[in-house]
Order: sequence, then structure tokens, then C-alpha cells
Amino acid sequence: MASVKLTDVKKVYDNKVTSVHDFNLEIKDKEFVVFVGPSGCGKSTTLRMIAGLEDITEGTVEIDGVVVNDLQPKDRDIAMVFQNYALYPHMTVYDNIAFSLRLKKVPEDEIYEKVTSAAEVLGITEYLTRKPRALSGGQRQRVAIGRAMVRNAKVFLMDEPLSNLDAKLRNQMRAEIILLRQKLDTTFIYVTHDQTEAMTLGDRIVIMRDGIIEQVGTPMEVFEKPENIFVAEFIGAPKMNMMKTELTCENGRWYVNPFGAKIEVDGAKAEELKAKNVQPQTVTLGVRPEHMTLLFEPSANSIPCKLEVNEMMGSEVHLHMTTKDDTKLIVRVPTIELNEEQRKMLAYGRELYITFSGKVMHFFDPQTSRNLIYG
Amino acid sequence: MSENRLLDRSSDAPVKRHMGLKASRTLANTSIYVLLVVISVVWLIPFICIVLQSFRVESTWQESYVIPKQWGLDNYRALFKTDFPRWYTNTFIAALFTAILQTIIVLCMSYTLSRFRFKMRKGLMRFMLILSMFPGMLTMIILYRVLSDLGLTQANALPGLILVYVASSGMGYYVSKGFFDTIPKSLDEAARVDGATRFQVLKKIILPLSKPIVIYTVLTAFMGPWGDFVFARYVSFGTSSGMNVAVGLYNWLNKDQIAKSYTMFCAGGVLVAIPVTVLFMCLQKYYVEGVTGGAVKG
Repeated sequence: MASVKLTDVKKVYDNKVTSVHDFNLEIKDKEFVVFVGPSGCGKSTTLRMIAGLEDITEGTVEIDGVVVNDLQPKDRDIAMVFQNYALYPHMTVYDNIAFSLRLKKVPEDEIYEKVTSAAEVLGITEYLTRKPRALSGGQRQRVAIGRAMVRNAKVFLMDEPLSNLDAKLRNQMRAEIILLRQKLDTTFIYVTHDQTEAMTLGDRIVIMRDGIIEQVGTPMEVFEKPENIFVAEFIGAPKMNMMKTELTCENGRWYVNPFGAKIEVDGAKAEELKAKNVQPQTVTLGVRPEHMTLLFEPSANSIPCKLEVNEMMGSEVHLHMTTKDDTKLIVRVPTIELNEEQRKMLAYGRELYITFSGKVMHFFDPQTSRNLIYG
Repeated sequence: MSENRLLDRSSDAPVKRHMGLKASRTLANTSIYVLLVVISVVWLIPFICIVLQSFRVESTWQESYVIPKQWGLDNYRALFKTDFPRWYTNTFIAALFTAILQTIIVLCMSYTLSRFRFKMRKGLMRFMLILSMFPGMLTMIILYRVLSDLGLTQANALPGLILVYVASSGMGYYVSKGFFDTIPKSLDEAARVDGATRFQVLKKIILPLSKPIVIYTVLTAFMGPWGDFVFARYVSFGTSSGMNVAVGLYNWLNKDQIAKSYTMFCAGGVLVAIPVTVLFMCLQKYYVEGVTGGAVKG
């Protein structure tokens, strides 16, 4: 249990490639922080620098107020779970979990107690005498977590622990990690490229791109108030629709006119625009697919589209549409809202209409891609 | 009707084809085994001849027949009245020390080259690879000078020889480095996070996972000095007490001695072969894995 503080941390590899730029972050005691971003964004590198598996080129990493830059991993008092589990293949599950305790010369009866209680929590008691090769992916991952659990380390690091599991198991393990976190009650740093994992697990999410932090915030903050287009598109699935449009102001009322549809900005949003002193201008308008409404008949504020792909997910349908100028838009429609006849109308090439309310708009500067209100 | 025909085809034809496949496989296997047996017989003949002649009692020189007319252990008894036990001990000590030291050096070297990243690592590897392509004999004159200045030749040849055998052993990193490379680095990292030092990682994680390659390294390190002739002859330089078995036995084959020591030479040869044969028979499983292990992890 400890706080972690990263100050101006930078990583430059031998081939002069900079993978992390001036990373600043303070992680509070017992906080669950998720680093998320596309592959190659430096999230794993940052985690490995905290673990001591990569040298820190510049800046400092502090654990519990102590600068650990020059400490070996073994002296940092951290536990880590790896993507490929990294179990020792020649040892039984019991020996795998006991490995760190034996290195610390903990008495055998104490080791036995710790290992069996960890195994019980993780439901792997019956596998303790097996070798890792005789376990399934999910069981292996549990052993890896068990190995980290018995350490009672200050910080718990997880590097994409679920990405080698199949989708069903991944969901199950995700729920178990939430439970585990409540039991362990320690500081967690979790790396993933999956925004769902980030949203469901994290107290705070750190969204990274090309070695730079794009936004830090609670799951709701990054979802509702994305600071820029990258965050807006990265969080939420399918990704947020982006449209180029004019933001206009008539008699104190704000309007946008994507593809000829004139839609008024909702009162609260309009207030925020005013408060931030935003001027009428060309903006990139963002609307999430679930906030769009599908219409079968045109109306005054609807956007005409052609249906290209219809993805039936069961509980909902994802409709991939194109507007007249070939902008791609995705609409999420709950299946329950469609009657039998309407479902039949969702065929390729079909002319359909989209509209959305003024409450759900995000405004971005097309040049800087910053959010005009929150950026 | 058409259904019947389909049924017919599925019941008859595949069975016939199956039989054909089996027959041709048997034929191929038989011919391969016959060939292998012939090759192994040809290969074994010299060894059988040596073993048989080492038991010959009626004469000590070369004969035109192979199977002894009188069997006995005279040659073995005679061996122990010569310098042979001394040579044998010399060889064994040299091989044992070389095996231990060279294994430690090679494994540490390989682990370092496989896991650490430092400046000139690639350059060093390439340099050593090229260097090891030159025959060791090129350095013989210089080595002899150095060793004789140190007083490690002739009667003191044994420590000198061990020094020569072990000195360049780091260059034999290639096979074991290749094997270590196939062990995921995350195992090292997990162990280091778990609190292990680099040496503990090597001892507790890497080496137990590399049993075949460790045994391969020990065997090759043992075999080099065991069968060495050129360096051993050079460094001992005619002094009997500094010779190893290969050099000592070879001296019995010169014109003056061959008539009275030929069968003794054969007996010596058999005794030299015994420990190596036993070693290989016990460890051959690992040896084969080790030779092929660098490419694909077992």
C-alpha cells in the first residue's frame, strides 16, 4: 500500500526513439489506475519503468515518497502480473506461488499458510501440485495473480493480464479482478489497450497516445468530458461520430447544421459555450452512436443517410451509414425499439434518417482537436 | 441406386488404399533399416577389431587375422606397468577441470549475451564468431612460448593444458545462447520482480529449464581434452609424465615400439573409450535434445 509519483518521466531507447514524453502523474494510496491507449503508446513502457524492468532516461519515479530510479526490481517491493503469465514451467503451482517467499527466506509453515489461503481465494487449491503446462489459460492467469498476491507488495502492477484469454473468460476474470481489488485493498496500476477494461476497472484512467498523456480522469469524466478528439474516439464503442459543421448563434440561441439539418444546442450546453466564451465558428461535432436516433421518415432536423452495414448484436443493432458527402456515421439502436417491419427495412442501400438531441453534443476545434468546452 | 454405389465406394476403395499405404511404408522402413544396419556394421568394424585384439595373448604385433587364438588380460596387466595410469590420470584431471570451468564460463557468457544489453554486444558476438573460425593451432607457437615462460610445459603440462582448454571457452557461447534466447524474457522479469538477483534467475529459473543444454555443454567440454592430441603433444613436449593418453598411446605406434606394444595400444584404446561410452549412453537423450535444442525449444 503506497502512493506512486511520476515526475517528468521520459524514456528514450538506444535507437533514439522516444517512447514516453514527460510523464507526470500522482497515484494515491489504494487507488486503481488504468493506463490505456493503442499499442505502441508507451503505456507498458511506463509500467515497466515503475517496475524497474526498464531504465528511466529522465525524471523520477517515487514509491511511498522514496525515489526508486536506481533500485533493482527486487528492492522496489512491487508485484507484477504479466500478459503471458510468465509462470516458471519447471515448478508446480505451489512452488510458483511460493517462489518469492522462499527467496525472502520466509519459514516453510508460513509459506504454506499464505499459499493455501491465496489458492483458496483464487479457487486453484486443487491444482497446487500441477505444473503450469497442465492448466488452462484462465487457471494460469489465476496462478500468476496468486504469485503476486502472496507478496503483500506496496504496489500491484498488471500488464495486459487478460489479453491472452478468450472473450468469455476475459469478462469473468475482469469481474474477479474487481473482487480481488476489494480484498487486497492496495495500490493498483493496470495496463490495457481495451477501453472496456479501463472503464470497468479504473478509479482513474490515464489515456495515452505516442508516449503522451492525453487525459487523466475518472471513467465518467473521460466518457462525458473528453478533452480532445482522440479521447472522444478512443473511449466508447463503437467510437464517437465526428462531423464537420458550423456552430452559429442567433438571438442568443446556438445551432449546428450538420448536412443541412438544423439542430439547436441544448440549454445547458449553450450555457457552457457562453461561459467558455466560444465564438460562432466551424467545429468538429462529436455525437456518440448511442445518442443518435434513427428515423424512417425525413423531418426538419434529420440527416439523410444510406445504410451500408447492419451489424446485429442481439440486444442492439449497429448501423453503419454514409451521408451524401461520404462521411461515415454509426448509430446504435436497441433492438427492442424496432418492430418486425422496421427490422426488415434495415437493408443495404436503404435511405434512412438520423437525428440527435442538443444535450449530447461535443464540440472540438478542427485545427487543434481540443474540446471547446473541456479542453 | 446411386446411394448404393456411394456406399460401395466408401466400403471398398479406402480399405484397399489403406493396405497399399501400409505395405509401401513397411517396404520403405525395411530398406531404411537394412541400410542403417549395414552402415553401423561398417562403422563398428574398427572398434570391434580393437576390442578383439586387446584380448590377444599369443603375440603383441599386428597380425593378418582379427579373432585372437588365445584370449587373456595380459595386455591390460602390462598397461599398468607402463606410464599409462599416469597418462590416464592426467587426461581425466584435465577433462574434469575443463568440464567444470568451461561449463561455468560458457553458461555465464551465454546468459549475459542473451539477457543483457550493452554497447558492442553484437560486435563482440560477431568478433568471437569470426575468431573461433580460425583453427586453434595457429596460436600454438605463441601459446607454447607463454606456457614455457610460465613453467607450465613438459612435466608441468597439466595445469598449462587446462589453462589452454579453458581460456577460449567463452567463445563456445553460441548453442547455449541460442537456447536461452528461446526462454521467454518475462520469466526473468517475473523472477526479478519476485525478488531474485540476476544470478538467482540464472540458477533457479534458466538452468533448470536448460538441462539438455547444460549437459551438452558439460559433455563437449569433457570430450575436448579427453581426445585432444595436438596441444597435449606440444605442451608435454616428449616428457612422459606430462602426456595425456592420446599422446602416450600414439608413441607406442612408432617403428621401434609397435612390435611389442601394438596389442597394449589396443587395450589402452578400449580403456579410453569406456568412460566416454558410459557417459554418452547415460546422457544421450539430453545430448540429442541439446544439439537440436538451439533451434526449437523442447
